Amino acid sequence: MLLAIWLAFALFPIYWTVATAFKTPIDIYQGPKYVPFIDFHPTVMSWERLFGPQNFSFFKDFANSLLFGSMSALLAVLLGAFAAYGLAQYRYKFGFYKNDDIAYLLVSQRFMPPIVAVLAIYITYQKLSLLDSRLGMILAYTAFDLPLAIFLLRNFFEQIPVELEQAAAIDGYGKVERLLRVVFPLAAPGLAAAYMICFVFSWNDFLFALILTFDNATTLPIMITNLNTQMQPMWWLLSAVGIVVMVPPVIVAVFLDRYMQRQVLRGGVR
Amino acid sequence: MRPSKSTARPARNATKRLMLAPAFLFFAAFTIFPLIFTAYVSLSAWNIGGRHIFIGLANYRSILGDITYLLSLRNTVLFTLATTFIEYVLGFGIAYLVNGVARWQRPIRLAVLLPMLLTPIVVGFIWKMMLDPSFGPIDSVLRHLGLPRINWLSSAVPAFMGIVLADTWEWTPFMFLILFAGLRSLPTEPFESARVDGASPWRIFWDLTFPLMIPASAAAILLRSVESFKLFDIVYLITAGGPGVATSTVSLDAYFTGLRAGDLGSAAAMTIILLIIVIVVTMSFLQLVARFGQSKMRPLSSPKDLASSRANSRTQVHETR
Repeated sequence: MLLAIWLAFALFPIYWTVATAFKTPIDIYQGPKYVPFIDFHPTVMSWERLFGPQNFSFFKDFANSLLFGSMSALLAVLLGAFAAYGLAQYRYKFGFYKNDDIAYLLVSQRFMPPIVAVLAIYITYQKLSLLDSRLGMILAYTAFDLPLAIFLLRNFFEQIPVELEQAAAIDGYGKVERLLRVVFPLAAPGLAAAYMICFVFSWNDFLFALILTFDNATTLPIMITNLNTQMQPMWWLLSAVGIVVMVPPVIVAVFLDRYMQRQVLRGGVR
Repeated sequence: MRPSKSTARPARNATKRLMLAPAFLFFAAFTIFPLIFTAYVSLSAWNIGGRHIFIGLANYRSILGDITYLLSLRNTVLFTLATTFIEYVLGFGIAYLVNGVARWQRPIRLAVLLPMLLTPIVVGFIWKMMLDPSFGPIDSVLRHLGLPRINWLSSAVPAFMGIVLADTWEWTPFMFLILFAGLRSLPTEPFESARVDGASPWRIFWDLTFPLMIPASAAAILLRSVESFKLFDIVYLITAGGPGVATSTVSLDAYFTGLRAGDLGSAAAMTIILLIIVIVVTMSFLQLVARFGQSKMRPLSSPKDLASSRANSRTQVHETR
């Protein structure tokens, strides 16, 4: 019962947004209307406008969001996999820093409010003319996804039985081959999960895009704020954009649920 | 087997270091360097065009006398306290309830987690619609109940509550996620024997579940409050810090000061103070947890031993070759 109340509270705002995306401006500004076909007649007006010819940069922002998310996640998972594998496989010692300390140092970045770094990155990008550039955004997102990827993957690599690798070594596989043929395939679910989580993190970002882009490299969240600051915000249109933005994280959530069931629920808090 | 043995071979040493190199490069370029650079900028009068002179601590002196900044700082702390507390209590409750559900657990879990995964700026927009005093559903429900209309976003206290509400909606699932995982990994034996002894569910919860959940709780509260100190997106969209500065946060104030007003020096000082607060809060929280739990609980540290023993056995792969 209590749970049902929470679920209603959790799901209603999402339902509301979906409903609004199919309303006409009149239906919105005549006060709240809840049920399609009874309260109001659903239209695809906002969708026509969104995908129509005068699409006011929607496609550009969408392409940017997709590009930044996919590329930064790819880089973060690739570089993160090397680091995570190294940390799981070798023993490091840099001064007082051993494996765990290195891992925690890298992950500690997430404790720093991003606003601290982003001002300095703004000035640096200004000097390097990386402001409002796609490369700059991909690099910045990669940097902020990396700790996450390392954190998730290290756990994964540690679970791969050493014996399998020993067997591969006895069979004469070289170092790189062992990594590519034995370790990465075994860690594939982990790599996929890390990729999806990194993608969503980049996709969901707002602060970096707000400060480091203004025209060429803007993303969908920036489009939403731009539409939102107009005198009479077009809720129907904003809701439609909002739904487009919400879709990838929701898909990822459904996929990850499986993974979580295995990883988080069995392993407990890491 | 000593770890230093394997470092004696230079070729392997190179591979080993190369594996970490890219990650470290990114870490240095996007974390260490910006941190030092921001600290330097905070000691300068730095205009957004790039002109700058060193002025020592003058920025700190001026922002600590600036009412807007002090209010933003107060708001940030209040937001963090309020949302972390509310979200923890709700998250624990929901985790407990979902854990007791036998059927449909998977879709329920997914529905509970959903808000957390949505893009924060969209969450901001959703709640701006929800809270709208003329066209929003919350207002119409209040009207139907015969309650007075609340101008959520144009007066200070309701605006603050509105932000807390939106944040609670968005991040309670995070608390749920960690606490649910914690509940699932609890040992079953003590619960069975308590039930055999005829303890009431209430007693079982307070005498067993809650104490056993302290490590998970500590982790959840720590992670959530650190995130909460960063609060920016939803406030930017819902109120942009208004009315006045009633809902401004440090991140917002630094953004407006640095990039809208062009005073990067003061903005940098604002963020450095925020960082120091986050570090102090984190450290004292960990101390508190360590003292409170003594040696019984080991928040986040138990996998360490496992990890190092694993690394130990992994080095064998190479020695055997």
